Amino acid sequence: MRLDLEAKSFGPRQVLGTLTLSVTRGERLAILGPSGIGKSTLLRILAGLDRQYQGQLQGAERLAMVFQEAVLLPWRDAVANITLPTGCDATTARDWLSEVGLEGHETKFPRQLSVGQQRRLALARAFAAGPDILLMDEPFASLDAATAARMLALTDALLNRTGAGAVLVTHDPAEARTLGALALHLGGCPARFQKD
Amino acid sequence: MTQTQNSRPSRPGLVPGVLSVLAMLVLWTLASQLTDRPQTLPAPWEVAARILRLASGGELWLNGGMTLFRVAASFALAMAAGMALGLWMGRSRAADHWLNPGLIILLNVPALVVIVLCYIWIGLNETAAILAVALNKIPVVTVMIREGTRALRPDLDDMARVFRMSPLTRLRHIVLPQLAPHIAGAARAGISLIWKIVLVVEFLGRSNGVGFKIHLLFSSFDVEGVLAWALAFVAVMLAIDLFLLRPAERRANRWRQDAA
Repeated sequence: MRLDLEAKSFGPRQVLGTLTLSVTRGERLAILGPSGIGKSTLLRILAGLDRQYQGQLQGAERLAMVFQEAVLLPWRDAVANITLPTGCDATTARDWLSEVGLEGHETKFPRQLSVGQQRRLALARAFAAGPDILLMDEPFASLDAATAARMLALTDALLNRTGAGAVLVTHDPAEARTLGALALHLGGCPARFQKD
Repeated sequence: MTQTQNSRPSRPGLVPGVLSVLAMLVLWTLASQLTDRPQTLPAPWEVAARILRLASGGELWLNGGMTLFRVAASFALAMAAGMALGLWMGRSRAADHWLNPGLIILLNVPALVVIVLCYIWIGLNETAAILAVALNKIPVVTVMIREGTRALRPDLDDMARVFRMSPLTRLRHIVLPQLAPHIAGAARAGISLIWKIVLVVEFLGRSNGVGFKIHLLFSSFDVEGVLAWALAFVAVMLAIDLFLLRPAERRANRWRQDAA
């Protein structure tokens, strides 16, 4: 997929300037930058969640997204939390649950899972959608260091296995290095990619 | 010998409820015995005997059934229309701006005016009766569902859009579960309001139903009959609340409870 962005504004304030970004299966990008620079806004444009911008978004790849929080359906159990959003069958959902180490938790509701388990469920949901490109919006930011490291390793392994591309939004360059992602730094006002 | 230890302090059981009903019955009995004109306030057992006579004669089932049918029809109509309007107004700012004045007017038009106009414009028939009741209830449901819709979680909405969930799946698995408490609240508040308005509608323009019977009894100042019909129907509505609406509400909220 390829984004040619000319400008993105919230009211009179222009947040993002001219920038080009393209990613395909197998490629990994990391969008880095300080808080409030527009990283998440850029990811929302890529995800198709924000269409109020000037520019062009091309590509028909299947997308999946991992959010800052798990964003699960609290009224459905773990399996249904995968099958309902992705449309996959229950067997596939169970396979993905065991893939992220959640076997035995299939019938539990999100409230009965720990925060780390909820995040792994969200990751299983994203991969069950069979994405060509996985979009991740600071997925490890609100986790403790050990859990974040485990999640990062798990994400890396699953990306390797499925061959999916990834766009990771983060403020931590170490996460980008661990994933082996090409780091793009957002900076300036309105924000553009800056050369290192 | 007061029982102070209770293993489940949050559920006091039936005792206070039963005692308070008994106290009301005692008060009623005393008042009925003290009054010098027994026909204005008959004793509880006389009313009970009248209810039994109505039930055994079949009259209670026929007229109560007609009233219940009107309650059910206008309830279904009001809930369906109110939910559709509430969802629309909660989701679309433009729809809210355009429809809100009408909603406020409808909320403030007296029930009686709506009923009279429906009978004049549509005629003295079942359609007019059911529509009049539903029109009285729709704005209330709409407001409650609109508030619930405004409080829908935007993060779940984003998730559904990224994963391209179909509109029907989203409605069923994302929107309705979040609205369930509001729907249950609107339903329970609605059913009691609706059956009161149904009686007025029957009083004014129908030839059967509890409201019609009360109309007849009113012309002969038959307090015993009025009380018998009213209490019998209150019992029916309480039973519907206890055995239909509350269990439905509990089922909708089941996911909130942690496994102990």
